[in-house]
Amino acid sequence: MTSLPLLAQAATGSTSEVVLFVVFAGIAIGAGIAMVAMRNIVHGALMLVINLLALAGLYLLLQTTFLSIVQVIVYAGAIMVLFLFVIMLLGIDRDDLLVDVGPVSRSVALLAGVGMVAILGWGIIGPYTSAASVCDPDAPVVRSADTQSCVGMDALLADADAGSVEIVANDLFTRWTFPFEASALLLIVATIGAMLLGRRHDTDPDDDPAWVPSMRLPDVGDGAPAVQPGSPEVDERDPATAAPDDAPEHAPGTAPDDEPVTVGGDPAAGVAEDPGDATDVPDGRDA
Amino acid sequence: MPIGAYYLVAAIMFATGLVGVLVRRNLIVLFMCVELMLNAVNLTLVAAARMWGGADGQVFVFFVIVVAAAEVVVGLALIVNIFFRRGTLDVDAQHLLEH
Repeated sequence: MTSLPLLAQAATGSTSEVVLFVVFAGIAIGAGIAMVAMRNIVHGALMLVINLLALAGLYLLLQTTFLSIVQVIVYAGAIMVLFLFVIMLLGIDRDDLLVDVGPVSRSVALLAGVGMVAILGWGIIGPYTSAASVCDPDAPVVRSADTQSCVGMDALLADADAGSVEIVANDLFTRWTFPFEASALLLIVATIGAMLLGRRHDTDPDDDPAWVPSMRLPDVGDGAPAVQPGSPEVDERDPATAAPDDAPEHAPGTAPDDEPVTVGGDPAAGVAEDPGDATDVPDGRDA
Repeated sequence: MPIGAYYLVAAIMFATGLVGVLVRRNLIVLFMCVELMLNAVNLTLVAAARMWGGADGQVFVFFVIVVAAAEVVVGLALIVNIFFRRGTLDVDAQHLLEH
């Protein structure tokens, strides 16, 4: 319902802005819909990159140079590379990972999306489609209850030597200094959290009594006969349990041997191996 | 262009991300749809900053981008862990907390 007055007033603005807006908006919307519809996740991520680059173009049209560059560098550069890196690292292009919901849920979701656009267009976008909301630096600024007039960035940009960067920096480093520092803290916490989440999940050799001979020394005398040679878990730990004197050479070697089996093979093997370690170590200590 | 045109583009992008969250079941695609919705809100904030002639909207977009970067880092680390432990990224298969 708002598209008709939008199209009617598209000619009232500057012609180049209209052309660029139509191009960038079309690319952004088309790439967004293509990202949702793509079966291949890698193609979907690349569609999202195109969407973010088109958004950077829309930021340029809105006289926001700084955020446009940040959008290209941070979003299309760093974040999407992280996405593509994880997608290709996990190798999740397999068909069994591309399951979708049924057709009923799909049509209901489509209805929800269309309804959301209709509600937003009717309630929120409506007051901003008049001719006064076209950002024209020569037009007088008129404010009333029902017609919103665009103020534009031209007055701010006229005072700023460095353009949009100076406008953002003036606010960021005076009024919003504390949130700025808090965002630095947030980035550090996120980095530490990602490092903790991304570490290996086998037991640290310093905490594992079976791998550290000094922690096992009281058990050597009667601990060795308690180990059953026929048990499959004990065979893996055999150099560390049966012969404590060569444990320092073999204990670091067993960890990389276990790791590719845990990661590359059946993921259930990694889960099933942890109780094996947990039951194995108390056996050696109790006996 | 009237500012409402930018709002309309942002609303369509937000609805696209919403439909994607509702329809797709892959965790990474869901995550990308959330990014799409975040960017739709960013476009709304930038357009509103131009509409009202202030810089607060642009500063807010800056913070949204910072928070989104932190969220992506932690979220992707969680997704990698989930995939290594469960072997799937299907959101309907993640029911460890049900029992």
